[in-house]
Amino acid sequence: MALGVPDRVRCAGALSELFARCEGVEAALLALRDGRPFVEKFRNPVDAGRLAAMTSSLAALGQSALKELKAGALDHILIEGGEGKLVISTVPGTGGLLLLAVLAARDARLGLVLGQSKICCQAVAAAIPEVSRK
Amino acid sequence: MSATWKLLFIGEPGAGKTTCIAAVSDIEPVSTDVGCTDELAQIKETTTVALDYGELDLGRDGRLLLYGLPGQSRFRFMFDVVKEGLLGVAVLVDATRADPLRGLRETLATYADEFRELPCVLCLNKQEVPARGLLESCQRLLGEFGLVAPVLVIDARRRSDVVRIFDMLFLLLEQSSVRIDRQEMVAWH
Repeated sequence: MALGVPDRVRCAGALSELFARCEGVEAALLALRDGRPFVEKFRNPVDAGRLAAMTSSLAALGQSALKELKAGALDHILIEGGEGKLVISTVPGTGGLLLLAVLAARDARLGLVLGQSKICCQAVAAAIPEVSRK
Repeated sequence: MSATWKLLFIGEPGAGKTTCIAAVSDIEPVSTDVGCTDELAQIKETTTVALDYGELDLGRDGRLLLYGLPGQSRFRFMFDVVKEGLLGVAVLVDATRADPLRGLRETLATYADEFRELPCVLCLNKQEVPARGLLESCQRLLGEFGLVAPVLVIDARRRSDVVRIFDMLFLLLEQSSVRIDRQEMVAWH
């Protein structure tokens, strides 16, 4: 089943909700699977093109690793650094078309970031015409 | 433990990186191809967004680790992931494109500094007899970025053609080793 073009305004709204509900989020970006930015919202300037490319590379590597290990489809990737954490999630029902990258501060609560990322992904999925009809 | 050697295939989407690795790899290649979402979808269904990986057993000489990277500038960071211990690079060009130099220019603009430090071969893929003047145009473009590299015409599906790339890279590597040895000798004296 072909997917329609995601509604940018609704996707941007989903990112704004994420910022409002989750303390410590520094950047949120929706990337297309081949590494191009679709919609983004940043607290401080971030190179959206670079982040989108890194998001697609990491997701593809994660998916390859899971495939090699016969561990199913990719849900999310978590990378924790000394100064922050990056969560990359696949937007469900899009065949991997869209990926959500959320960069959060070091002291942001991980459970909250993961949970709100999932809620954001669901809101984005609902903004894609064919997916919302499911 | 036997030696391992790292070689890199790089180029625009559809240039033949995945095909080259699949043609010679002893293992099933690891691929990170995803469906295209832009105008590329008209000419190619999928594109590499992280890397391709394969291995080739060289017997007593060790193993060749083969990496394929996207040539677009937005994936520049992937080069840093594989650059450690890299012995050479094959830059691939789809010779059948309406403008085959467009993708090559972006790849060279992104990686010329790195390519100057490595044995480098330019490979024109997908056309047995490349369009008139294409070889010269490629050489000119390489020159614009301060690069000198042999240009090979290949069919990435043919194992023998990919082996020819390896032969050329190892020849260049041998020459550069000799050159480095000589420079060290001059410095010593």
